[in-house]
Amino acid sequence: MANHGYITGTGAVCPLGRTAPEFARRLFAGETAIRLMTPEERGSLQATHVARCDGFTPQPEIPAMKARRFDRGSQFAIIASAQAIAEAGYPISEAPEEIGIALGTGSAGAGALTEFLRVLLTESPEAAPPFHFPNTVANAPASQVSIELKLLGPNVTITQKDPSALNALIFSSIALGSGRARAMLAGGVDEWNPVYAMGFDRVGALRGEKRTSGIVQGEGGFAVLLETQESVRSRGARPLARLSGLAMAGAPCEPYRFTPDLPAIERAVRGALDDAGVSPGQIDLLLPSRNGVTEMDRAEEEVLHRVFAAAPPAVSVKDAIGEMAAAGGGQIVAACRAVADAEGPLSRGPRPRRVLIDSFGAGGNFLAAVMEAA
Amino acid sequence: MSKDRRVVVTGIGAVTSIGGNVPEFWKSLLEGRCGIGAVTLFDASTYRTQTAAEVREIPDGFLTAKEKRRMSRADRMGLAAATEAVLQSGLDLSREDRTRVGVILGGGTSGLLDSEDFFSRHLHGRPARPSRVLNHMPDAITDRVAQHFRLEGIKSTVTTACSSSANAMGYAHDAIMAGWADVVLTGGSDVLARLTYGGFNSLRSVDPGPCRPFDRERKGLSIGEAAGILVFEERGRARRRGAPILAEFLGYGVTSDAFHMTAPDPSGSAGGRTIRAALASAGVNASDVDYVNAHGTATPQNDSAETAAIKNALGARAREIPVSSIKSMIGHCLCASGAIEAVATVLTLRDQLVPPTIHYENADPACDLDYVPNATRDADVRVAISNSFAFGGNSSVVVFGRDA
Repeated sequence: MANHGYITGTGAVCPLGRTAPEFARRLFAGETAIRLMTPEERGSLQATHVARCDGFTPQPEIPAMKARRFDRGSQFAIIASAQAIAEAGYPISEAPEEIGIALGTGSAGAGALTEFLRVLLTESPEAAPPFHFPNTVANAPASQVSIELKLLGPNVTITQKDPSALNALIFSSIALGSGRARAMLAGGVDEWNPVYAMGFDRVGALRGEKRTSGIVQGEGGFAVLLETQESVRSRGARPLARLSGLAMAGAPCEPYRFTPDLPAIERAVRGALDDAGVSPGQIDLLLPSRNGVTEMDRAEEEVLHRVFAAAPPAVSVKDAIGEMAAAGGGQIVAACRAVADAEGPLSRGPRPRRVLIDSFGAGGNFLAAVMEAA
Repeated sequence: MSKDRRVVVTGIGAVTSIGGNVPEFWKSLLEGRCGIGAVTLFDASTYRTQTAAEVREIPDGFLTAKEKRRMSRADRMGLAAATEAVLQSGLDLSREDRTRVGVILGGGTSGLLDSEDFFSRHLHGRPARPSRVLNHMPDAITDRVAQHFRLEGIKSTVTTACSSSANAMGYAHDAIMAGWADVVLTGGSDVLARLTYGGFNSLRSVDPGPCRPFDRERKGLSIGEAAGILVFEERGRARRRGAPILAEFLGYGVTSDAFHMTAPDPSGSAGGRTIRAALASAGVNASDVDYVNAHGTATPQNDSAETAAIKNALGARAREIPVSSIKSMIGHCLCASGAIEAVATVLTLRDQLVPPTIHYENADPACDLDYVPNATRDADVRVAISNSFAFGGNSSVVVFGRDA
């Protein structure tokens, strides 16, 4: 039985809520934040829907003057991370070199990147605004978090399409296991961007008027604080959940195509269960990868049918907040809240003890995790 | 983490402005050849500067025309380097358990050069083919390498700007140590793009001529492009199969400066912390370090801050050992710089030769170490470190040693 660490805090800024408990409550109540795009958002896209952090402002956590220095993704990441630290009661300043951050992202920096390039390509390279350039890097949000919260430990950003945030969780668990840190903020961040939306729409990735298969884009920031058992014990913290299983499987595939590779999916799902040392029957709740890409959703269903004699109840996070590289962060946060919160996630039955998370992406990337009651 | 597992390098591959394979690249480094010249990949006439270290020819003859059409420039360079590395390792991937072979790379501009064409046409109201943006995501190259070699193991792409591929190697090491894989193709491939070229120019960080690391008159960096791929393998299995062991990856340090988005900590305390974390991870002392392959970008800020960091971490040892920046020859290859500099560091350990810092003429009181000016040197190098620092304060230092 693996022990990848304990979750002691959660944070979320997403289309379905501005804190982790609010997000989980609304998710498990069956709400969705997916809505029709406004005419401005939609432009000439065939895509029709989106899930955004409507009405989001970085206040009160980040004062207005200061907030202008951060792009939207960094604001999401800073607030979600601060929430996780606050809930955990983690004393960063006591040993700042022992706490780090790993975030998954697919779009961080997109706003700065597209704006810098727009000016460069339509006016001149010399007219391109220099202050945008440092924010074009994907690691800007995680780094802004490290600067704001004064984290001196490991700091990485990871991209692996839709499962990016689960990969960040794997990096974090390895960082704890190898003694590089005692605590890691792990999660994901993405900002919706009209140019990226246009690109995704043009390559056929988005569901809409002309396509029944495809994703609805979301945005948001998620973070959990993953701590070693020793850290939790020594400071007398009360963990919300234990990360007990992690697995990743690959399948050879064009980077931008979906491959409904049943053996690879099964390897990821069974790998996470085996890693956690649990049988399929011990899983009480499933947070599937399901995101509207028809052939992938079917493949996942088939594998789950093979693995589970009786499938546990499933809640689709992506039907609620859309799909993005950070969506796995939403699944991780939801799994923690599901096993930790007094009000069970489902209207019937007891609070789940174990949750399985699936997170699959284009290019043959299949990740899964098991989260347990602490 | 299992104590009996160790990670060695059994293959290396390189595509650079001064050589399209490892032997050519190494020969050029030892000769002190400069790969920095005129930009040809796009019209640079309206930019503040017009020079970069471009790869003139990509050795991608093993790909079909159809494959090449689907791939970005970064893909083709990365696959060429990966093919060279795998060939040298002697791995017969058709006989391996391919679920145990992973790919962990640093993500860079990827297909950005093509995306920029698409975006430009779109902005000017001209028809643009969407296939041009298919390779936009930084992890495209990782999937590409896995696809090419039919690998089914773990995959990851670290996107921490200029320390991406150094962190990727660290992740690869830790993943093998923790049992996630037995073999990982790691490193990175990054190519020139308008965004990065225009970006560093907008920050006034680019030297109009070839960059001059650690020189008092240094004016900034030269942007370069390269692919560097290393085969990391669990040492026990590498020895059992009689693989060539080029070096051991002893460990790495990964830290946050938590200082500033673009400026390094001038005191060297942040960078020094990363070096110390790397040495601790590798289980070696400052006095064991025989060579520093420097980040050495040639920006006024980096080189003095890095010098301070080396002194901060290595103490008296800093003045006894060579420190050189191969960016003086191949430019700053951004997200691939950690990888290509790791390839050079492995070759230093193999051949006991330290490549020079070229274009070095004027001593700077703020940069007062031995930078191996202008000529290759023989040296007894058993342990070497390679530094990578990035926007965001994402610092990473890797440690290689001779296999013993």
